Amino acid sequence: MSSPYGGMLAGLIRHRGVKGCLVVGERDGLIVDSTVQFGVNAQTFAALTASLFRKARRAAQAAGFGDATFVQLEAERGRVCAVGRGDLVLVVVAEPRVNLGLVRVDMLKAAERLS
Amino acid sequence: MMDADEIRLMSDVLAADPASLVFLQLGEALRRQGQLDLAWRVALRGVERHAQRPDAHDLLARVAADRGDFDRARAAWESALALAPGHPAAQKGLGFLLFQQGLLQDAERLLVAAQAADPGDASVANALARIRALGGATAGGRAAGPPPVGPTPPRGSVAIPASVSRPSRTTQALAAPVPFAPTPTDARDVFLDVLPDASHAALLLDADGLVVAGRYRGPDGRDLAADVGAQLSGVSDEASRAMRHLDVGAWTHLAVEAEAASVAMAPSGEGIVLVAAPRRVPLGFVRRVLDRAVERARRWLESGT
Repeated sequence: MSSPYGGMLAGLIRHRGVKGCLVVGERDGLIVDSTVQFGVNAQTFAALTASLFRKARRAAQAAGFGDATFVQLEAERGRVCAVGRGDLVLVVVAEPRVNLGLVRVDMLKAAERLS
Repeated sequence: MMDADEIRLMSDVLAADPASLVFLQLGEALRRQGQLDLAWRVALRGVERHAQRPDAHDLLARVAADRGDFDRARAAWESALALAPGHPAAQKGLGFLLFQQGLLQDAERLLVAAQAADPGDASVANALARIRALGGATAGGRAAGPPPVGPTPPRGSVAIPASVSRPSRTTQALAAPVPFAPTPTDARDVFLDVLPDASHAALLLDADGLVVAGRYRGPDGRDLAADVGAQLSGVSDEASRAMRHLDVGAWTHLAVEAEAASVAMAPSGEGIVLVAAPRRVPLGFVRRVLDRAVERARRWLESGT
């Protein structure tokens, strides 16, 4: 059975440096759909990124900034980006060399199709 | 003074075109009428839309001073002068404020500059005469004590000398005793020289989410640094936890774009530095401000000043 997110994920994974794309439940951190390269631990990324996005969303609201729309985490050997809509989070796992601006724009567009 | 019809007309113009510079006249008119909450909102919106205009910061400073928020007034005048070092109104406003707070050396420098721009301004001349009668500034830039006129002010506050004429509500507002302003080495002022304008804020937080340096002003002018720091430090804790499990090394930057603001964070020693900016500011720019703030925090922690 194909999910409604297959086309969206296929578009995102084509970006140079993107290693995986996942649609994750924000509350439970479970994968709804994903496209990942070999070696990416999708379950772990899904759970931890959903938790991070949930925390960022709550913190932004508590700080008076409104709802969080995009979260980006950079580490020494990789990047994780997340956008949310409703109770779903779209997660992209990438290498440091990824064109973040391009990925961000495509993620924000894709998020409009999450529901 | 403008009448109600003129204020209504300017309000209509601003409503039809939010980018209009009429906010400068409208904010000033409201301030003069004592409608300080409305004036504050107009000035704040003006600074958000026209952050590069020194007049916008000057208006915000005058309204802040009338509201009794002297920290915010000082920050806004400093922003105006950072954008236009010779801005006469900002020189005069900040000069009076520093004079009132006992920082005679800095006050004299600013008021001399303001006098050069308008030699006929009697209020500036009187203030300068008063400063010189007091013997000028001490070596540290702060008067040794409150000016020796009038009743003794409460402990920890100063009163403006009675002989200084006050030509506007702004300077009248400065007459009330207020706490001493932070000194240039105050921890809250550590990031002033790396922030592009008053719409940005930077904080240095320790590992427990407590504010070490910097300030964060809410829309109403209150310092929300402790609240914002406590909320956002939890996000960095979550980032650290995630990084431990994902095998991608330590986290170096974290950015959160929200409806009203963008926030960027980075580790700094045992804590984190965060920069917040209005949502209209591009994330890449916020990131660069953050890099400067991290470097500023590092040097401040190393030097202890």
